[in-house]
Amino acid sequence: MGDEKQTDNVQSDLSNATESLKIEGEQKENGDASKSDKVKIDILLKATGNAPIMKKKKWAVDAEKPIGWIMEFVKKYLKLEPDEKLFLYVNQTFAPSPDQLVKNLYECFGTDGKLVLHYCKSQAWG
Amino acid sequence: MANDREVLREIWDGKLPICFQLAQEEIMEIQQPDAFYVMVPRLSYFPLVTDKMKRHFLRYISQENSDSEMWLDYNGQPLKWHYPIGFLYDLFCGNDPQLPWHLTVHFTKFPEDVLLHCTNKDVVEAHFMSTVKEADVLKHRGQVMSTMQKKDHNQLWLGLQNDKFDQFWAINRRLMESHGDNEGFKHIPIKIYSDDGTCSQRLVSPKNNDGSRKTLQQMVAELYPDKHDVQLRTHGIIIPSDTPLQWLSEHMSYPDNFLHLCVF
Repeated sequence: MGDEKQTDNVQSDLSNATESLKIEGEQKENGDASKSDKVKIDILLKATGNAPIMKKKKWAVDAEKPIGWIMEFVKKYLKLEPDEKLFLYVNQTFAPSPDQLVKNLYECFGTDGKLVLHYCKSQAWG
Repeated sequence: MANDREVLREIWDGKLPICFQLAQEEIMEIQQPDAFYVMVPRLSYFPLVTDKMKRHFLRYISQENSDSEMWLDYNGQPLKWHYPIGFLYDLFCGNDPQLPWHLTVHFTKFPEDVLLHCTNKDVVEAHFMSTVKEADVLKHRGQVMSTMQKKDHNQLWLGLQNDKFDQFWAINRRLMESHGDNEGFKHIPIKIYSDDGTCSQRLVSPKNNDGSRKTLQQMVAELYPDKHDVQLRTHGIIIPSDTPLQWLSEHMSYPDNFLHLCVF
């Protein structure tokens, strides 16, 4: 995965990949629009260790989404193999549970109007 | 720092009698399996206390499912293994206690959209340690956990896993100390659950703006300004509303260092 050539491929396909993800996300939101107030939260995704950098780092995410959804999103965006692991960290300290909601983390650990998440492909902070 | 040691001990010794039954559709033998009764610590997690139960039921199920991941449900609702057992009981049976607690055991149809996978106890350990770290970030900006040694982290986990109060608290007491000039944590690690299991986590200070100790009642008034008569339950009891949050956090937190409170 690390070599230059593949990184280039990833970037040229980026827009397609994210476009389809967005559409998927919107359809889902429309489905249960009645119960959620559709608050969006800005998240900033930062690469750590051997993880590839994301061209677009800042995303507005539905506050009710679980962290597991963001993990899947990043994996798709980076075109990781299904068996490749991805770890997300808050405050460069702890790995939130995949069923933790984005709004809960933002509420407790958000800074300057956004939630910063570090991602990597191997365990970084225990 | 936690002083009321007997409270810590009482909480630690809390146990629940559980009656496990194999789901009817899993049974492949003519002879029906006996139910499996066991007393489990409220503070523990299901994957840490169900090895024997799993072995008991394995011989009654189809051979092809014997390697698949076991999961539990109460009344058709899958139980999340990464929540402490006592909390799950309070959430589902708090208003209508039933003992023993009747749970159904499954080896097929894993509810992927509800439960996280737990292939072995290392997964539970990783989840537990991460939650303790999160709590320490809230209490001390993560400084206690980051200055501890790996062996201290291990001792915390082994104390919980092996149900050893002294082993666990020898380390945990450091996580329950207040730092700096003022008494109290920076924030209180707290998760509040509504009866549908939705978890709400907010940044809660142990003090009011005037520096006085914040009580449970005052926190409830801040978080639920529109609601009256909000009561909170943990460890099977309704918490008196004048309890200071700092004391509550030091004495009534689960081993993961979070208060897990059920609203009703």
